[in-house]
Amino acid sequence: SSQLSSLPLQILLYVNGIYYIFYFLATLAMIIYKSQVFSYPDDLLAPDLAVLFLMGILEVPRLYLGFKGNLTEAEAPLGLSLGLTVGSVLLCVYLLLWQTYVLWADVLLNAVLLSAYGLESGLKVTAIAAFVS
Amino acid sequence: PADTRDAAQPRVRSAPAPVTDVARLCVCDLLVAQCDVNCCCDPDCSAEDFSLFTACSLPVVTGDSQLCSQKAAVYSLDVEANPPERIFKLIDQVNPSIFCIHTANYKQALYLKSPEIPTPENFDQLLDKFGGATFSAEPDGWNLDTDAQNPPDANETSRYEYGVPVQTEDAFLRLPSPVVSSWCSDANPAGFLVNQATKCIRSVSVEKCDSIQALSMLFYINSSILAVPKSSQMVNITVQSVVVQSLNGMRTLLSSSDVLRLPMVLDELCINAVLGVNYHITHTDTGEIIEAAAAFVLGAISKEALSIEQSFEISFTQENTQPVPLSGNPGYVVGLPVRAGFQPQGYPFPAAFLSNKHSQLTILHSTSTQDCLAAQGARAPVLFGYNMISGCKLRITAAMKCQPLAQTLLDVLKGQSFPEYVASFGNSQAQDVLDWVPITQLHISEQMISHTLQGSCQIPVSLGIEVKWTKYGSLVNPQARIVNVTATITTTTLKQLPSGRERIIPVTSSVVFTDISSPAEPSYKAWPTIDIKLPFDFFYPFV
Repeated sequence: SSQLSSLPLQILLYVNGIYYIFYFLATLAMIIYKSQVFSYPDDLLAPDLAVLFLMGILEVPRLYLGFKGNLTEAEAPLGLSLGLTVGSVLLCVYLLLWQTYVLWADVLLNAVLLSAYGLESGLKVTAIAAFVS
Repeated sequence: PADTRDAAQPRVRSAPAPVTDVARLCVCDLLVAQCDVNCCCDPDCSAEDFSLFTACSLPVVTGDSQLCSQKAAVYSLDVEANPPERIFKLIDQVNPSIFCIHTANYKQALYLKSPEIPTPENFDQLLDKFGGATFSAEPDGWNLDTDAQNPPDANETSRYEYGVPVQTEDAFLRLPSPVVSSWCSDANPAGFLVNQATKCIRSVSVEKCDSIQALSMLFYINSSILAVPKSSQMVNITVQSVVVQSLNGMRTLLSSSDVLRLPMVLDELCINAVLGVNYHITHTDTGEIIEAAAAFVLGAISKEALSIEQSFEISFTQENTQPVPLSGNPGYVVGLPVRAGFQPQGYPFPAAFLSNKHSQLTILHSTSTQDCLAAQGARAPVLFGYNMISGCKLRITAAMKCQPLAQTLLDVLKGQSFPEYVASFGNSQAQDVLDWVPITQLHISEQMISHTLQGSCQIPVSLGIEVKWTKYGSLVNPQARIVNVTATITTTTLKQLPSGRERIIPVTSSVVFTDISSPAEPSYKAWPTIDIKLPFDFFYPFV
C-alpha cells in the first residue's frame, strides 16, 4: 500500500470543519451578547464582525482544498490550503488578542482553534513533503 | 504684569484625569483635610481615629467586577486588637464566570468619559451638540432644525398638518397676540386647525393713524395664503363682512363689504381703524386650504386714546360640513361645556335634538350688582367637572305679588330655555337617542308640610343641578360619561310682609359633579389551555 494520503490530516480536517461551525456560532453569539451587555460602539463592532465573517468565508475553500489535496495526493491544492491557513491564523490571533472585548470563553475557543491550525499546518507540510518526494 | 501672567499659564484643556488605582480611591472621603467617621480608606485619618471607628462603611473598593482578574482594596477593622486598628489589604479578585472580560481593548468602556472643557475653538460645536432641548446618543442623527429642509419630509409637505403655521406669500398668516405683556406682537403665526382667539393692546396715535399698518384692513388681507405649504397655488383672503363700531360701542353691519375702508383722520378722530379681525378658513379633508374669509370690526379712535384693544380670532371649517363643537371624544373633557338639547315635540321617535348655543346647560351668573331682578339674562355655561355656585339677592317688598315673583325667579334660576336632555358622551350625535340622558326635575319645599298651609305661596330660592358621571371604558384610558342629571328646585314660603317693610333673601344655584364610578377591576385574559385529545383508536392493538 503506497498510500501517501495522510490519515491524521484527514481526521483533523474533518474535526476542524465540525469544530469551526461550533466556533463560528459561539463567537457570533458572544459578540451579540457583548454588544448588549457592554458599551460597544458601532465603529468597533463593525471590524470585529467583519473579521469573523471573513474567517468564515476563508474556511470553506481552505478545508475543501485541504480535503482535495490530501485525497488526490496533489501538492498544489494542499499548498494553497496552507496559504489560506496562514490568513486564518492571523484572523484568529486578532480575535484572540485585539478584539474589543476578549472574554475568557473567547480565549478558550480561539486557543483551541489556533492549536488545531498549528497541528494541521504541520501535518500538511509533512504530506506535501511526502507527495513531492 | 497681569497680562503676562495670564499668558504664561496655559489654559486647562481637560478635566483632571480619573483616578483608577483602587488603593487610592475612596468614595467615603467626603470632608477635605478632615477624617470622615467610619471611613476606613480616608487618608486624613490617623491611627487614633481608626481606633474610634465601629465598622468600615466601605469594606472593599474594586474596579469593574466583569473583569476576569482585578485588584481589590479590602479595608477592615481588627476589633480584637487593643486599640482597634485598620487593616488594609490589596488582593486579586477573580471572577469565576466563563464570560468574564479577559482583555478589554476598548479602554473607555470601563470608565466614565471625561467631559470636554469648552474652549473658544470647540465652543460652537459643543453648543450645537448640547445647546438644544434634548441631547442624543448619536448627535449626527438628530436634526434640531425646524426648517422644512429634512429630506424625509419632502413628500409630507404637500399638505398642512395640525399645528403647522399657515403660510402666505411672504411669511405666515399673522394672528397678533400678546406675548409676555399685553402688547400686540405681529410675529405669532396661526397654526392650521388651531382655533384661536386672542386679545391684545396696540399703541396708537390719532395723528399718525393712517400710517400705522396694523390699523388698516389691507394689512390683514393683502398677502394670499398658500393652499398647501411651499406651493404656488394661492388663496385670496376675501372680506366676508365689515361691522362698524361707533364710539359708544354700538355696532352696525355694513351692507356692502367690497369697498376697502382705510383708516383716515376725520375731526380729531381716526375712523376705519381695525378693532377686530375674525378669520374663517375652509379646508379639505386632505389638508388643503380652499377658502379664506375675514370679518372685520372697524371703529373710531378718539384723540385722547393712547392705545386700543384689538381682538383676533381664527377658526377652521372642513368643506361641506357643519361643525358642531364637541366636548370630548368620546368621554367629556374637564372644562368643556356640557352639551344639552331638547326633544322636538310631536314625534313618536325623537328624530333630532337642537344643540345650538341657546339650549346649552347654563346656570345663573353672579353679577356685581347681586340683584336678581336687575341681572336677568347673565348666564354662564356649565362646564364638565367644574362645580359652580352662584347666586343673587332678592329684595322682597310688601307690594310684590307671589305668582309673578315665583315665575320671575324660576326664569332667573333656570334661564330662558332650560334643556330637557343632556348628552351622555362628549361627542353624542343628535340622532343617537340612547346617548342622551333626560334631566330629572325635582321640587323640594323648604318647610315641613305640617308647618305651613298648602295654599300659601311658594317661591323658588335655589336650583341645584347634580350631574352624576362615571368612568367608562378601559382601565388605562377611562372616559367620562354622564349617567344622571337631576335639577332640584327648592321653594320656600313667602310670608306676607307688613307694608313698608322689605326683606332680602338669597337665591342660589349650583352645579355639582359627582363621580359614581364603581372601582375598576382589571380583568385578565384566561390562560390558553392546551386541548389535546388522543384519537379514538390510539391504543388500537391493546384496547
